[in-house]
Amino acid sequence: MSSTVATEDVRNWIHSELWNQVPVAIGVIDDGYRVVEANPGFARFFGEWRARPCYAVFKDRTERCDRCGAAATFADGKARVREERGVRDDGSAITYLVQLVPLTLQDGTIPYVIEMCTDITATKVLEQEKLEAERLAAVGQTVAGLAHGIKNVIMGLEGGVYVVRSGMQRGDSDRILQGWEMVEENIDRISSFVKEFLDFARGRAPQVRLCSPDAVAQKVFDLFRDAARLGGVELTLTLGGTTTAMLDEDGVHTALANLVSNAVDACQVSERRGGHVKLSTRDERGALILEVEDDGVGMDAEIRRQVFTNFFSTKGLQKGTGLGLLTTRKIAQEHGGRVSFESTEGAGSVFRLVFPRDRLPKQSETGEALQEASHGAA
Amino acid sequence: MATTKKRVLVIDDEPAVVTYLRTLLSDNGYDTLSADNGRTGFLTAQKEKPDLVCLDITMPEESGIRFYRNLRDDPALAKTPVVVVTAVTGIGGDPEPFRHFLSTRRQVPPPEGFISKPIDRGEFLRVVATALAGPVRA
Repeated sequence: MSSTVATEDVRNWIHSELWNQVPVAIGVIDDGYRVVEANPGFARFFGEWRARPCYAVFKDRTERCDRCGAAATFADGKARVREERGVRDDGSAITYLVQLVPLTLQDGTIPYVIEMCTDITATKVLEQEKLEAERLAAVGQTVAGLAHGIKNVIMGLEGGVYVVRSGMQRGDSDRILQGWEMVEENIDRISSFVKEFLDFARGRAPQVRLCSPDAVAQKVFDLFRDAARLGGVELTLTLGGTTTAMLDEDGVHTALANLVSNAVDACQVSERRGGHVKLSTRDERGALILEVEDDGVGMDAEIRRQVFTNFFSTKGLQKGTGLGLLTTRKIAQEHGGRVSFESTEGAGSVFRLVFPRDRLPKQSETGEALQEASHGAA
Repeated sequence: MATTKKRVLVIDDEPAVVTYLRTLLSDNGYDTLSADNGRTGFLTAQKEKPDLVCLDITMPEESGIRFYRNLRDDPALAKTPVVVVTAVTGIGGDPEPFRHFLSTRRQVPPPEGFISKPIDRGEFLRVVATALAGPVRA
Protein backbone atom coordinates (compact mmCIF):
# COMPACT_ATOMS: atom_id res chain seq x y z
CA MET A 1 0.00 0.00 0.00
CA SER A 2 2.59 2.46 1.10
CA SER A 3 4.78 1.47 -1.83
CA THR A 4 1.95 2.37 -4.21
CA VAL A 5 1.70 5.78 -2.60
CA ALA A 6 5.45 6.21 -2.92
CA THR A 7 5.29 5.27 -6.59
CA GLU A 8 2.50 7.75 -7.10
CA ASP A 9 4.57 10.43 -5.38
CA VAL A 10 7.51 9.63 -7.55
CA ARG A 11 5.38 9.82 -10.66
CA ASN A 12 4.01 13.15 -9.61
CA TRP A 13 7.46 14.39 -8.86
CA ILE A 14 8.73 13.22 -12.21
CA HIS A 15 5.90 14.97 -13.98
CA SER A 16 5.86 18.20 -12.03
CA GLU A 17 9.51 18.62 -11.11
CA LEU A 18 11.80 16.60 -13.35
CA TRP A 19 9.94 17.41 -16.55
CA ASN A 20 9.83 21.07 -15.59
CA GLN A 21 13.31 21.49 -14.20
CA VAL A 22 15.63 19.14 -16.03
CA PRO A 23 18.26 21.27 -17.81
CA VAL A 24 17.53 19.48 -21.06
CA ALA A 25 15.12 20.56 -23.77
CA ILE A 26 12.68 17.71 -24.42
CA GLY A 27 10.28 17.83 -27.33
CA VAL A 28 7.91 15.27 -28.80
CA ILE A 29 7.64 15.30 -32.58
CA ASP A 30 4.90 13.56 -34.53
CA ASP A 31 5.28 11.97 -37.92
CA GLY A 32 4.14 15.20 -39.54
CA TYR A 33 7.25 16.87 -38.01
CA ARG A 34 5.18 19.00 -35.66
CA VAL A 35 6.24 19.58 -32.09
CA VAL A 36 3.25 18.30 -30.12
CA GLU A 37 4.59 18.38 -26.57
CA ALA A 38 7.60 19.94 -24.91
CA ASN A 39 8.95 20.76 -21.47
CA PRO A 40 9.65 24.29 -20.24
CA GLY A 41 13.34 23.74 -20.94
CA PHE A 42 12.46 23.27 -24.58
CA ALA A 43 10.71 26.63 -24.72
CA ARG A 44 13.69 28.29 -23.02
CA PHE A 45 16.00 26.66 -25.56
CA PHE A 46 14.04 27.10 -28.77
CA GLY A 47 11.32 29.65 -28.04
CA GLU A 48 7.70 29.26 -29.08
CA TRP A 49 7.01 25.77 -30.41
CA ARG A 50 3.27 25.31 -30.30
CA ALA A 51 1.78 24.49 -33.70
CA ARG A 52 5.13 24.89 -35.44
CA PRO A 53 7.06 22.27 -37.44
CA CYS A 54 10.30 21.07 -35.91
CA TYR A 55 12.51 22.43 -38.69
CA ALA A 56 11.09 25.90 -38.09
CA VAL A 57 11.57 25.61 -34.33
CA PHE A 58 15.10 24.15 -34.49
CA LYS A 59 16.55 25.71 -37.58
CA ASP A 60 14.30 28.57 -38.68
CA ARG A 61 13.74 26.68 -41.90
CA THR A 62 10.66 26.66 -44.07
CA GLU A 63 11.07 23.07 -45.17
CA ARG A 64 12.52 19.84 -43.82
CA CYS A 65 16.29 19.53 -43.25
CA ASP A 66 18.36 17.65 -45.84
CA ARG A 67 19.66 15.09 -43.40
CA CYS A 68 16.79 14.92 -40.95
CA GLY A 69 17.64 12.81 -37.90
CA ALA A 70 13.99 12.50 -36.87
CA ALA A 71 13.05 11.15 -40.31
CA ALA A 72 15.81 8.57 -40.03
CA THR A 73 14.61 7.49 -36.60
CA PHE A 74 10.98 7.30 -37.80
CA ALA A 75 12.24 5.08 -40.63
CA ASP A 76 14.52 2.67 -38.78
CA GLY A 77 13.33 2.92 -35.18
CA LYS A 78 16.87 3.50 -33.93
CA ALA A 79 17.93 6.04 -31.33
CA ARG A 80 20.62 8.42 -32.51
CA VAL A 81 22.91 11.04 -31.03
CA ARG A 82 24.65 13.88 -32.73
CA GLU A 83 26.16 17.25 -32.18
CA GLU A 84 24.57 20.35 -33.62
CA ARG A 85 25.52 23.96 -33.79
CA GLY A 86 23.20 26.88 -33.69
CA VAL A 87 22.99 30.55 -32.90
CA ARG A 88 21.17 32.02 -29.92
CA ASP A 89 18.86 35.01 -30.32
CA ASP A 90 21.70 37.25 -29.14
CA GLY A 91 23.87 35.94 -31.97
CA SER A 92 26.21 33.84 -29.82
CA ALA A 93 27.10 30.33 -30.97
CA ILE A 94 25.76 27.31 -29.16
CA THR A 95 26.72 23.65 -29.39
CA TYR A 96 24.20 21.10 -28.27
CA LEU A 97 23.90 17.37 -28.16
CA VAL A 98 20.75 16.01 -29.77
CA GLN A 99 19.41 12.61 -28.74
CA LEU A 100 16.58 11.19 -30.81
CA VAL A 101 14.59 8.36 -29.27
CA PRO A 102 11.66 6.64 -31.02
CA LEU A 103 8.42 6.06 -29.16
CA THR A 104 7.63 2.63 -30.57
CA LEU A 105 4.20 1.02 -30.10
CA GLN A 106 3.64 -2.71 -29.73
CA ASP A 107 2.63 -3.05 -33.38
CA GLY A 108 5.98 -1.56 -34.35
CA THR A 109 4.65 1.76 -35.54
CA ILE A 110 6.43 4.92 -34.44
CA PRO A 111 3.98 7.76 -33.91
CA TYR A 112 6.46 10.03 -32.12
CA VAL A 113 10.12 10.74 -31.80
CA ILE A 114 11.39 12.33 -28.61
CA GLU A 115 14.11 14.87 -29.17
CA MET A 116 16.31 15.79 -26.21
CA CYS A 117 18.79 18.65 -26.52
CA THR A 118 21.56 19.32 -24.03
CA ASP A 119 23.61 22.51 -24.15
CA ILE A 120 27.27 21.44 -24.25
CA THR A 121 28.69 24.82 -25.30
CA ALA A 122 30.80 25.15 -22.14
CA THR A 123 32.27 21.67 -22.61
CA LYS A 124 33.06 22.39 -26.24
CA VAL A 125 34.77 25.65 -25.32
CA LEU A 126 36.94 23.79 -22.81
CA GLU A 127 37.75 21.16 -25.41
CA GLN A 128 38.78 23.86 -27.91
CA GLU A 129 40.89 25.57 -25.26
CA LYS A 130 42.61 22.30 -24.43
CA LEU A 131 43.43 21.66 -28.09
CA GLU A 132 44.71 25.22 -28.42
CA ALA A 133 46.87 24.83 -25.29
CA GLU A 134 48.37 21.62 -26.68
CA ARG A 135 49.11 23.40 -29.94
CA LEU A 136 50.77 26.34 -28.16
CA ALA A 137 52.88 23.96 -26.07
CA ALA A 138 54.13 22.33 -29.26
CA VAL A 139 54.97 25.75 -30.74
CA GLY A 140 56.81 26.74 -27.55
CA GLN A 141 58.97 23.65 -27.67
CA THR A 142 59.70 24.32 -31.30
CA VAL A 143 60.79 27.89 -30.68
CA ALA A 144 63.15 26.67 -27.95
CA GLY A 145 64.45 24.11 -30.43
CA LEU A 146 64.88 26.78 -33.09
CA ALA A 147 67.13 28.76 -30.75
CA HIS A 148 69.28 25.65 -30.31
CA GLY A 149 69.52 25.15 -34.06
CA ILE A 150 70.44 28.79 -34.66
CA LYS A 151 73.19 28.65 -32.04
CA ASN A 152 74.79 25.78 -33.93
CA VAL A 153 74.61 27.67 -37.22
CA ILE A 154 76.17 30.78 -35.65
CA MET A 155 78.93 28.63 -34.22
CA GLY A 156 79.57 27.22 -37.71
CA LEU A 157 79.60 30.66 -39.31
CA GLU A 158 81.92 32.15 -36.68
CA GLY A 159 84.15 29.12 -37.06
CA GLY A 160 84.30 29.57 -40.83
CA VAL A 161 85.15 33.25 -40.48
CA TYR A 162 87.84 32.45 -37.91
CA VAL A 163 89.40 29.75 -40.09
CA VAL A 164 89.41 32.09 -43.15
CA ARG A 165 91.13 34.84 -41.16
CA SER A 166 93.60 32.41 -39.61
CA GLY A 167 94.41 31.15 -43.13
CA MET A 168 94.86 34.70 -44.42
CA GLN A 169 97.22 35.59 -41.57
CA ARG A 170 99.32 32.55 -42.35
CA GLY A 171 99.05 32.83 -46.13
CA ASP A 172 97.59 29.31 -46.07
CA SER A 173 95.23 29.09 -49.05
CA ASP A 174 94.03 25.58 -48.16
CA ARG A 175 92.93 26.84 -44.80
CA ILE A 176 91.18 29.83 -46.36
CA LEU A 177 89.28 27.50 -48.67
CA GLN A 178 88.36 25.22 -45.80
CA GLY A 179 86.99 28.15 -43.80
CA TRP A 180 85.10 29.48 -46.78
CA GLU A 181 83.40 26.11 -47.26
CA MET A 182 82.31 26.21 -43.63
CA VAL A 183 80.73 29.61 -44.23
CA GLU A 184 78.92 28.42 -47.36
CA GLU A 185 77.70 25.25 -45.71
CA ASN A 186 76.21 27.13 -42.80
CA ILE A 187 74.53 29.65 -45.06
CA ASP A 188 72.86 26.68 -46.79
CA ARG A 189 71.80 25.41 -43.39
CA ILE A 190 70.17 28.71 -42.51
CA SER A 191 68.21 28.58 -45.76
CA SER A 192 66.91 25.08 -45.16
CA PHE A 193 66.16 25.88 -41.51
CA VAL A 194 64.12 28.90 -42.44
CA LYS A 195 62.24 27.03 -45.12
CA GLU A 196 61.39 24.11 -42.86
CA PHE A 197 60.54 26.37 -39.98
CA LEU A 198 58.15 28.37 -42.12
CA ASP A 199 56.55 25.14 -43.25
CA PHE A 200 56.15 24.23 -39.63
CA ALA A 201 55.00 27.57 -38.28
CA ARG A 202 52.70 28.51 -41.13
CA GLY A 203 49.40 29.39 -39.53
CA ARG A 204 47.50 27.65 -42.31
CA ALA A 205 44.06 26.54 -41.17
CA PRO A 206 43.83 22.81 -41.80
CA GLN A 207 41.68 22.14 -44.87
CA VAL A 208 39.47 19.55 -43.30
CA ARG A 209 37.12 17.45 -45.35
CA LEU A 210 35.75 13.95 -45.45
CA CYS A 211 38.40 11.70 -46.93
CA SER A 212 39.59 8.13 -46.91
CA PRO A 213 42.58 7.39 -44.65
CA ASP A 214 43.33 4.34 -46.79
CA ALA A 215 43.57 6.55 -49.89
CA VAL A 216 46.06 8.84 -48.11
CA ALA A 217 48.16 5.84 -47.07
CA GLN A 218 48.04 4.53 -50.64
CA LYS A 219 49.33 7.87 -51.97
CA VAL A 220 52.21 7.93 -49.48
CA PHE A 221 53.01 4.33 -50.37
CA ASP A 222 53.04 5.15 -54.10
CA LEU A 223 55.30 8.12 -53.42
CA PHE A 224 57.95 6.14 -51.52
CA ARG A 225 57.84 2.61 -52.89
CA ASP A 226 60.29 3.02 -55.77
CA ALA A 227 62.72 5.28 -53.94
CA ALA A 228 62.76 2.89 -50.98
CA ARG A 229 63.43 -0.10 -53.23
CA LEU A 230 66.32 1.75 -54.91
CA GLY A 231 67.72 2.29 -51.43
CA GLY A 232 67.44 -1.43 -50.69
CA VAL A 233 64.37 -1.10 -48.45
CA GLU A 234 61.15 -2.98 -49.08
CA LEU A 235 58.04 -0.92 -48.39
CA THR A 236 54.74 -2.77 -47.99
CA LEU A 237 51.20 -1.51 -47.52
CA THR A 238 48.32 -3.12 -45.61
CA LEU A 239 45.03 -1.26 -45.80
CA GLY A 240 42.62 -1.92 -42.96
CA GLY A 241 39.49 -0.79 -44.77
CA THR A 242 39.19 2.24 -42.52
CA THR A 243 36.05 4.32 -42.91
CA THR A 244 36.16 7.92 -44.07
CA ALA A 245 37.12 10.59 -41.57
CA MET A 246 37.24 14.36 -41.35
CA LEU A 247 40.92 15.01 -42.03
CA ASP A 248 43.25 17.63 -43.44
CA GLU A 249 44.34 15.34 -46.26
CA ASP A 250 47.50 17.27 -47.15
CA GLY A 251 48.50 17.50 -43.51
CA VAL A 252 48.01 13.81 -42.83
CA HIS A 253 49.88 13.02 -46.04
CA THR A 254 52.81 15.15 -44.81
CA ALA A 255 52.75 13.53 -41.36
CA LEU A 256 52.65 10.00 -42.74
CA ALA A 257 55.29 10.76 -45.37
CA ASN A 258 57.59 12.05 -42.59
CA LEU A 259 57.18 8.78 -40.69
CA VAL A 260 57.81 6.65 -43.78
CA SER A 261 60.84 8.74 -44.73
CA ASN A 262 62.25 8.33 -41.21
CA ALA A 263 61.61 4.58 -41.30
CA VAL A 264 63.40 4.19 -44.63
CA ASP A 265 66.34 6.23 -43.28
CA ALA A 266 66.41 4.07 -40.14
CA CYS A 267 66.71 0.95 -42.31
CA GLN A 268 69.42 2.47 -44.49
CA VAL A 269 71.69 3.37 -41.59
CA SER A 270 71.18 -0.05 -40.02
CA GLU A 271 74.10 -2.44 -40.26
CA ARG A 272 71.75 -5.14 -41.50
CA ARG A 273 71.02 -5.18 -45.21
CA GLY A 274 67.61 -5.14 -46.82
CA GLY A 275 65.32 -3.38 -44.39
CA HIS A 276 61.53 -3.59 -44.29
CA VAL A 277 59.03 -0.83 -43.72
CA LYS A 278 55.38 -1.77 -43.16
CA LEU A 279 52.79 0.93 -43.67
CA SER A 280 49.31 0.04 -42.43
CA THR A 281 45.94 1.50 -41.47
CA ARG A 282 43.29 0.26 -39.09
CA ASP A 283 40.52 1.21 -36.70
CA GLU A 284 41.09 0.21 -33.11
CA ARG A 285 39.04 1.05 -30.02
CA GLY A 286 37.39 4.08 -31.57
CA ALA A 287 40.61 5.46 -33.01
CA LEU A 288 41.89 5.67 -36.55
CA ILE A 289 45.49 4.45 -36.63
CA LEU A 290 48.09 4.95 -39.36
CA GLU A 291 51.16 2.91 -38.52
CA VAL A 292 54.70 2.75 -39.85
CA GLU A 293 56.88 -0.10 -38.64
CA ASP A 294 60.51 -0.61 -39.57
CA ASP A 295 63.25 -3.08 -38.72
CA GLY A 296 65.97 -0.44 -38.91
CA VAL A 297 68.42 0.80 -36.30
CA GLY A 298 65.86 1.57 -33.62
CA MET A 299 66.54 4.00 -30.81
CA ASP A 300 68.09 3.67 -27.39
CA ALA A 301 66.51 5.22 -24.31
CA GLU A 302 68.44 8.45 -24.69
CA ILE A 303 67.33 9.04 -28.27
CA ARG A 304 63.76 7.98 -27.44
CA ARG A 305 63.63 10.77 -24.87
CA GLN A 306 64.72 13.35 -27.41
CA VAL A 307 62.49 12.30 -30.27
CA PHE A 308 60.17 15.30 -30.11
CA THR A 309 62.61 17.89 -28.81
CA ASN A 310 65.04 20.54 -29.76
CA PHE A 311 65.59 20.20 -33.47
CA PHE A 312 67.03 16.89 -32.50
CA SER A 313 68.36 14.92 -35.42
CA THR A 314 70.59 11.88 -35.60
CA LYS A 315 70.84 12.12 -39.36
CA GLY A 316 73.76 14.49 -39.53
CA LEU A 317 73.94 17.83 -41.27
CA GLN A 318 72.91 16.87 -44.75
CA LYS A 319 69.67 15.08 -43.98
CA GLY A 320 67.97 16.29 -40.88
CA THR A 321 66.92 19.56 -39.33
CA GLY A 322 65.00 17.73 -36.62
CA LEU A 323 61.69 19.30 -37.60
CA GLY A 324 60.03 16.31 -39.24
CA LEU A 325 58.59 14.69 -36.14
CA LEU A 326 57.64 18.04 -34.62
CA THR A 327 55.66 18.83 -37.77
CA THR A 328 54.12 15.37 -37.67
CA ARG A 329 53.08 15.83 -34.06
CA LYS A 330 51.66 19.27 -34.76
CA ILE A 331 49.50 17.87 -37.56
CA ALA A 332 48.29 15.02 -35.34
CA GLN A 333 47.41 17.48 -32.58
CA GLU A 334 45.47 19.66 -34.98
CA HIS A 335 43.22 16.64 -35.46
CA GLY A 336 42.94 16.02 -31.72
CA GLY A 337 45.31 13.09 -32.20
CA ARG A 338 48.81 12.16 -31.15
CA VAL A 339 51.96 10.40 -32.31
CA SER A 340 52.92 7.32 -30.33
CA PHE A 341 55.97 5.13 -30.81
CA GLU A 342 57.87 2.16 -29.52
CA SER A 343 61.46 1.45 -30.37
CA THR A 344 64.15 -1.04 -29.55
CA GLU A 345 67.77 -0.30 -30.26
CA GLY A 346 69.00 -2.54 -33.04
CA ALA A 347 65.56 -4.02 -33.74
CA GLY A 348 63.47 -1.21 -35.18
CA SER A 349 60.71 1.26 -34.41
CA VAL A 350 56.96 1.58 -34.74
CA PHE A 351 55.45 5.03 -35.11
CA ARG A 352 51.68 5.57 -35.09
CA LEU A 353 49.42 8.46 -35.90
CA VAL A 354 46.51 7.91 -33.51
CA PHE A 355 43.31 9.85 -34.20
CA PRO A 356 40.51 9.18 -31.69
CA ARG A 357 37.49 9.50 -33.91
CA ASP A 358 35.43 11.39 -31.33
CA ARG A 359 38.09 14.12 -31.27
CA LEU A 360 38.34 14.54 -35.02
CA PRO A 361 36.83 17.69 -36.50
CA LYS A 362 33.06 17.24 -36.70
CA GLN A 363 30.82 17.21 -39.70
CA SER A 364 27.72 19.34 -39.68
CA GLU A 365 24.31 18.41 -40.95
CA THR A 366 25.11 19.95 -44.30
CA GLY A 367 28.37 18.07 -44.59
CA GLU A 368 30.59 21.05 -43.81
CA ALA A 369 33.38 20.79 -41.32
CA LEU A 370 32.63 22.33 -37.97
CA GLN A 371 35.91 23.84 -37.01
CA GLU A 372 35.67 27.21 -35.47
CA ALA A 373 33.55 28.29 -32.56
CA SER A 374 32.36 31.35 -34.48
CA HIS A 375 30.54 29.22 -37.02
CA GLY A 376 26.82 28.97 -36.60
CA ALA A 377 24.76 26.20 -38.14
CA ALA A 378 21.89 28.45 -39.14
CA MET B 1 105.96 23.22 -16.85
CA ALA B 2 105.17 20.88 -19.67
CA THR B 3 107.79 20.79 -22.33
CA THR B 4 105.58 19.14 -24.95
CA LYS B 5 102.37 20.48 -26.45
CA LYS B 6 99.19 19.49 -24.67
CA ARG B 7 96.88 17.32 -26.72
CA VAL B 8 93.17 18.10 -26.92
CA LEU B 9 90.52 15.68 -28.22
CA VAL B 10 87.59 17.50 -29.86
CA ILE B 11 84.38 15.42 -30.02
CA ASP B 12 81.56 16.93 -32.09
CA ASP B 13 79.38 15.58 -34.89
CA GLU B 14 79.52 18.84 -36.84
CA PRO B 15 82.57 19.03 -39.11
CA ALA B 16 82.49 22.85 -39.00
CA VAL B 17 82.73 22.85 -35.21
CA VAL B 18 85.57 20.32 -35.28
CA THR B 19 87.51 22.36 -37.85
CA TYR B 20 86.86 25.57 -35.94
CA LEU B 21 87.98 24.24 -32.55
CA ARG B 22 90.97 22.36 -33.96
CA THR B 23 92.16 25.43 -35.88
CA LEU B 24 91.64 27.68 -32.87
CA LEU B 25 93.45 25.28 -30.56
CA SER B 26 96.37 24.64 -32.91
CA ASP B 27 96.75 28.41 -33.49
CA ASN B 28 97.15 28.65 -29.72
CA GLY B 29 99.78 26.00 -29.28
CA TYR B 30 97.85 22.78 -28.75
CA ASP B 31 97.98 19.51 -30.63
CA THR B 32 94.54 18.25 -31.57
CA LEU B 33 92.64 15.07 -32.30
CA SER B 34 88.99 14.67 -33.19
CA ALA B 35 86.07 12.26 -33.29
CA ASP B 36 82.52 12.73 -34.57
CA ASN B 37 80.61 10.80 -31.91
CA GLY B 38 80.87 9.57 -28.35
CA ARG B 39 81.70 5.99 -29.27
CA THR B 40 84.65 6.68 -31.59
CA GLY B 41 85.61 9.50 -29.23
CA PHE B 42 85.92 7.06 -26.35
CA LEU B 43 88.04 4.64 -28.43
CA THR B 44 90.30 7.54 -29.42
CA ALA B 45 90.58 8.66 -25.80
CA GLN B 46 91.54 5.15 -24.66
CA LYS B 47 94.16 4.88 -27.38
CA GLU B 48 95.60 8.39 -27.33
CA LYS B 49 95.16 9.46 -23.68
CA PRO B 50 94.53 13.15 -24.49
CA ASP B 51 95.29 15.83 -21.90
CA LEU B 52 91.81 17.32 -22.27
CA VAL B 53 88.53 16.60 -24.03
CA CYS B 54 86.25 19.20 -25.65
CA LEU B 55 82.86 17.51 -25.68
CA ASP B 56 79.62 18.19 -27.53
CA ILE B 57 76.43 16.79 -25.97
CA THR B 58 73.89 16.08 -28.71
CA MET B 59 75.47 13.74 -31.21
CA PRO B 60 74.28 10.70 -33.15
CA GLU B 61 75.51 7.21 -32.30
CA GLU B 62 76.47 8.03 -28.77
CA SER B 63 75.84 11.26 -26.95
CA GLY B 64 78.28 13.32 -24.96
CA ILE B 65 76.47 12.43 -21.75
CA ARG B 66 77.20 8.75 -22.15
CA PHE B 67 80.78 9.49 -23.23
CA TYR B 68 81.22 11.58 -20.10
CA ARG B 69 80.01 8.80 -17.80
CA ASN B 70 82.15 6.22 -19.56
CA LEU B 71 85.19 8.45 -19.24
CA ARG B 72 84.64 8.99 -15.53
CA ASP B 73 84.12 5.25 -15.04
CA ASP B 74 87.40 4.34 -16.75
CA PRO B 75 90.26 4.37 -14.21
CA ALA B 76 92.83 5.22 -16.90
CA LEU B 77 90.81 8.23 -18.15
CA ALA B 78 88.76 9.35 -15.14
CA LYS B 79 91.04 12.28 -14.33
CA THR B 80 91.09 13.69 -17.89
CA PRO B 81 89.64 17.21 -17.72
CA VAL B 82 86.53 17.75 -19.86
CA VAL B 83 85.23 21.02 -21.29
CA VAL B 84 81.64 20.66 -22.47
CA VAL B 85 80.93 22.78 -25.54
CA THR B 86 77.22 22.68 -26.29
CA ALA B 87 74.22 24.62 -27.50
CA VAL B 88 72.09 22.82 -24.90
CA THR B 89 71.68 25.32 -22.09
CA GLY B 90 69.06 26.44 -19.64
CA ILE B 91 66.84 29.45 -20.09
CA GLY B 92 68.77 32.47 -21.36
CA GLY B 93 71.85 30.34 -22.02
CA ASP B 94 72.42 29.69 -18.34
CA PRO B 95 74.71 26.64 -18.20
CA GLU B 96 74.07 25.95 -14.51
CA PRO B 97 71.04 23.65 -14.86
CA PHE B 98 72.88 21.53 -17.35
CA ARG B 99 76.09 21.37 -15.34
CA HIS B 100 73.94 20.33 -12.39
CA PHE B 101 72.19 17.70 -14.50
CA LEU B 102 75.50 16.22 -15.63
CA SER B 103 76.88 16.00 -12.11
CA THR B 104 73.79 14.70 -10.33
CA ARG B 105 73.38 11.79 -12.68
CA ARG B 106 75.04 8.74 -11.23
CA GLN B 107 77.08 10.87 -8.85
CA VAL B 108 79.74 11.77 -11.40
CA PRO B 109 81.70 14.95 -10.65
CA PRO B 110 80.87 17.96 -12.84
CA PRO B 111 82.98 18.69 -15.92
CA GLU B 112 85.92 21.08 -15.46
CA GLY B 113 84.54 23.56 -17.96
CA PHE B 114 81.30 24.44 -19.60
CA ILE B 115 81.07 26.64 -22.71
CA SER B 116 77.89 27.59 -24.57
CA LYS B 117 77.78 27.57 -28.36
CA PRO B 118 78.41 29.86 -30.11
CA ILE B 119 81.65 30.20 -28.16
CA ASP B 120 83.48 33.27 -26.95
CA ARG B 121 87.01 32.44 -28.17
CA GLY B 122 88.82 34.19 -25.32
CA GLU B 123 86.67 32.50 -22.72
CA PHE B 124 87.04 29.13 -24.41
CA LEU B 125 90.84 29.34 -24.44
CA ARG B 126 90.90 30.53 -20.82
CA VAL B 127 88.67 27.64 -19.70
CA VAL B 128 90.82 25.12 -21.59
CA ALA B 129 94.03 26.53 -20.10
CA THR B 130 92.57 26.58 -16.59
CA ALA B 131 91.28 23.03 -16.88
CA LEU B 132 94.69 21.84 -18.06
CA ALA B 133 96.58 23.70 -15.35
CA GLY B 134 94.12 23.03 -12.54
CA PRO B 135 94.81 20.82 -9.57
CA VAL B 136 94.38 17.15 -10.11
CA ARG B 137 90.89 16.36 -8.91
CA ALA B 138 90.67 15.15 -5.34
